[in-house]
Amino acid sequence: MNSPDNVSSPDPVASSALRMSKSRASADTQSMISSTSSLPYRASNASVSSLFASTTTPTGSRSGSPSGLGRSRMSGSVFGGTPGERQQLARAEQPGDPRNLILQAFVPHIAVHTSADTHELVKDKGIGGGLWELLRPFGERIHGKVTVRDSIGAGKTWEDFSVRFVQLGDGLDPPDVPTRKSEEGRGLNGEKQETKSAAQRSRTGGNVSQIESLVDRHLSYAEDFPNMSGEDYLTYKDARLRDIDTTSPFYTLYLRRLLSGIPLTPHETFAHPVACVIAISSRNTTPIDALRTLYQESTVGTKRMPLWVNSEYLRYYVLVHDEERDDITKSMALFDQMKKHFGLHCHLLRLRSSNCVSTDDDSFRLPRCEWVSASEELADIQTREVQEDFEDSYPCIYETDMTAIRTFIREMVTQSVIPSMERCVSTWNDQVASRRRGIGGRFISLSKKWTGFGSGTRGSSGSGNSGSSSNYDSLQGFYRPDAPEAIMRKLADYAFMLRDWKLAQSTYDLLRSDFNNDKAWRYHAAANEMAVISTLMLSQAISSKVRSETIDQMLETASYSYITRCGASYGALRCLALGMELLRLRNGSATEDAARWGSRLLEYKVVGVIGDALVKERIAVCYASKKGTGSGSWGGRTRKSALWSILAADAWLMLGKPQQSKQRLDEVVSKYSSLPNKDSLSQFIMANSFLQSLQKEVQLALYPESAIEASGDMADLIETSIEEETAFKSRPHRRSLMGAATPALASLGSAPLNGTLEDEKDEATPAVQFE
Amino acid sequence: MSYYLAIIGTQDNPLFECEFGTAKQGGDGVARFPEQARHMNQFIVHSSLDIVEEVQWGGGQMYLKCIDSYYNNYVSCFMTGGNIKFLLLHVPSQPSSSTATRASTSIAANPTSPQTEEAIKQFFTEVYENWVKTIMNPFYSVNMEVKSPVFRARVMGAGKKYL
Repeated sequence: MNSPDNVSSPDPVASSALRMSKSRASADTQSMISSTSSLPYRASNASVSSLFASTTTPTGSRSGSPSGLGRSRMSGSVFGGTPGERQQLARAEQPGDPRNLILQAFVPHIAVHTSADTHELVKDKGIGGGLWELLRPFGERIHGKVTVRDSIGAGKTWEDFSVRFVQLGDGLDPPDVPTRKSEEGRGLNGEKQETKSAAQRSRTGGNVSQIESLVDRHLSYAEDFPNMSGEDYLTYKDARLRDIDTTSPFYTLYLRRLLSGIPLTPHETFAHPVACVIAISSRNTTPIDALRTLYQESTVGTKRMPLWVNSEYLRYYVLVHDEERDDITKSMALFDQMKKHFGLHCHLLRLRSSNCVSTDDDSFRLPRCEWVSASEELADIQTREVQEDFEDSYPCIYETDMTAIRTFIREMVTQSVIPSMERCVSTWNDQVASRRRGIGGRFISLSKKWTGFGSGTRGSSGSGNSGSSSNYDSLQGFYRPDAPEAIMRKLADYAFMLRDWKLAQSTYDLLRSDFNNDKAWRYHAAANEMAVISTLMLSQAISSKVRSETIDQMLETASYSYITRCGASYGALRCLALGMELLRLRNGSATEDAARWGSRLLEYKVVGVIGDALVKERIAVCYASKKGTGSGSWGGRTRKSALWSILAADAWLMLGKPQQSKQRLDEVVSKYSSLPNKDSLSQFIMANSFLQSLQKEVQLALYPESAIEASGDMADLIETSIEEETAFKSRPHRRSLMGAATPALASLGSAPLNGTLEDEKDEATPAVQFE
Repeated sequence: MSYYLAIIGTQDNPLFECEFGTAKQGGDGVARFPEQARHMNQFIVHSSLDIVEEVQWGGGQMYLKCIDSYYNNYVSCFMTGGNIKFLLLHVPSQPSSSTATRASTSIAANPTSPQTEEAIKQFFTEVYENWVKTIMNPFYSVNMEVKSPVFRARVMGAGKKYL
């Protein structure tokens, strides 16, 4: 009944019915899609499909499999072997591990500030966004190994270190969502907020609804082009059965977009610039002056960061040399002069200025960025959809340029950025944190607490910075960057970004109590969140008792502070989603905690409809990863996992994503059949009929023909589908499945137990009488 | 508070099911499960068997107390010597978050309080007694479903008395 081939020669009645329900079903899906995404939808564009392809490819991707050639419309773009393709696929295998995701998400941000002539030069190369856009894809993977020293001085080598290039001023909260905390920043440089372009605003992440609509676009694409069909589908299913831990590509996408474009906020410093690239080009006539002007702009001028951003970050001076128009000897002389003026943090970047086209000999496609914010990717999809030409239009660069950029980034990161971060960490650790950590520090915090108590309503009165003991400006809602708390937060974040989890964890732990005393709730929530994450990133084992005392407590506090005290659902979502993922990795009872936090996440209602289905799916995976022991697999959570899979399937069907729903239902079947008592659920009448009706509806939505073929009673089913359609029409999202389908299907369940429904028939059936 | 009692046989098959509401504090003894989500009761109880199978080896008690929860649904369990599980799903009528209800001793309001545990224990004990009498019927064999109206009436009576 699964394959539509069964109905190759239907009789006239069947075919008419077939057409009826088929057209209906397609109309349904159409209306669903158009209602879920308000954007115009044109899917036949090759460049769009290559955008979607990285998601729809299953994570253990079968990139080279010949079975992928069977697809007609998109085979060229998906597995066509374009230069950037292999790299992306190799990367797509990793994100199954949330640790990798976190390593790649919380990375140093490097701001880029260029002169107008540099912008011109890069624009001549065919990249409209400026030097920043040229550097960005290469920052996501730094070539070669990077060695980082931790606080003890032990070096550790990382293969996958990355940095993020942003334009100076990126990541600030969008002006149309005014928040109390950024008012100070706006008062100081209001004109900057005015001039900020829409494109720049779209690079700020942290918008949950944008993430949802982006994932929805990817999902509807996957529905329209189900790339698993026939034997291809079967092999994929087998792969899935073997490895239940495989992350759904859509969930990975969801998490990644959740962590992309971390907004620039006072309460965490991940998006604060660690360094700033100040670049001029060889076309500039007054180079040294231009550099000074740019520096002035970034420090005190129009491009100044808000008040709560520490402006003591590294400046890195770059001279972009135009290989084709300008004289290298002149540039070398200028570069020497720059070194004399600005010290060692300088680089000469040699680029060709002519536009590279893909037909050139040594052209390379500019790799696509993995870490773009949801709104940016949405805009990208949209522009590609309205494009008329079918060939994809990614900008290309010359190989020499690529090598030059790679060398530049590597040199900058290993020789300037990381050493300066290490220096900051050790300085702050010595001067601020260790003082706070010692016995005296404890005394200070204690005395602070008591003076606060003595002087009465310190933070709660809200009368400005009333208590002299608190550094927290409760009116404006931030610590000044030179306050010990702010420096310690920065220290912890730096340590986190340099992957020194131990130092990060201990510092966050100190900060938690400080922020709590100061009633700085947003800071408090963020410190708790990061304390959880850094504790879980440490590889040491945590007993279940300690876990419930620390991890659960901190997650609870973080989510409560985020939601109730700050109304920041993005923070709560990020915190719980990451906590859940990391807990799941620690096997045993921790997986159960993970599932519990997942259901808490649903309870808090911080996710939208798409996120809801994804999280349900994820909870099922959490339960499934708890394996039982012994022949009876005692202690497993197979039934729980199956239940959540059913819930996810139901949610997907309601969203008009029958492909996803079908996958979940297949999982359900395999999970139930792995139980010692395989058909135990079939004896629960209502539950079973719900499951069956769900399966029927998914069949109907996927292949209308086979559903009709399978059922003996044609009229009954047509009636059902009509009923469903009306339900669809009236409430496209909130269709109640039971209400529509059960009456028709209730008689299907062969039920040994009639339960509460049919009490009255007791006399008729042979049953046990009391005594 | 609404209750759903399921007696599960050794092969995870339901032997007896019934729903009833609280009769305390002016309750009319009618279960108020939302009509569209009635199937969820069975799903929840079925999935709780995972937990039962883990918890049952922990101690020698037959009454395993509240073993599982799903959102606002709580599941208590009682195991007989013959590996028959009594699973009681109880749903407080309103979320037990407000402090006023937490302070009160009403078993309808807070499903995990000692009072509730005690009341459910008494209920289970009485059901167990009747269960043993029922399955002593010479025509009964293991894992056969129980349809006796008398047993049903006594379960309802026990529910009315204790819950």
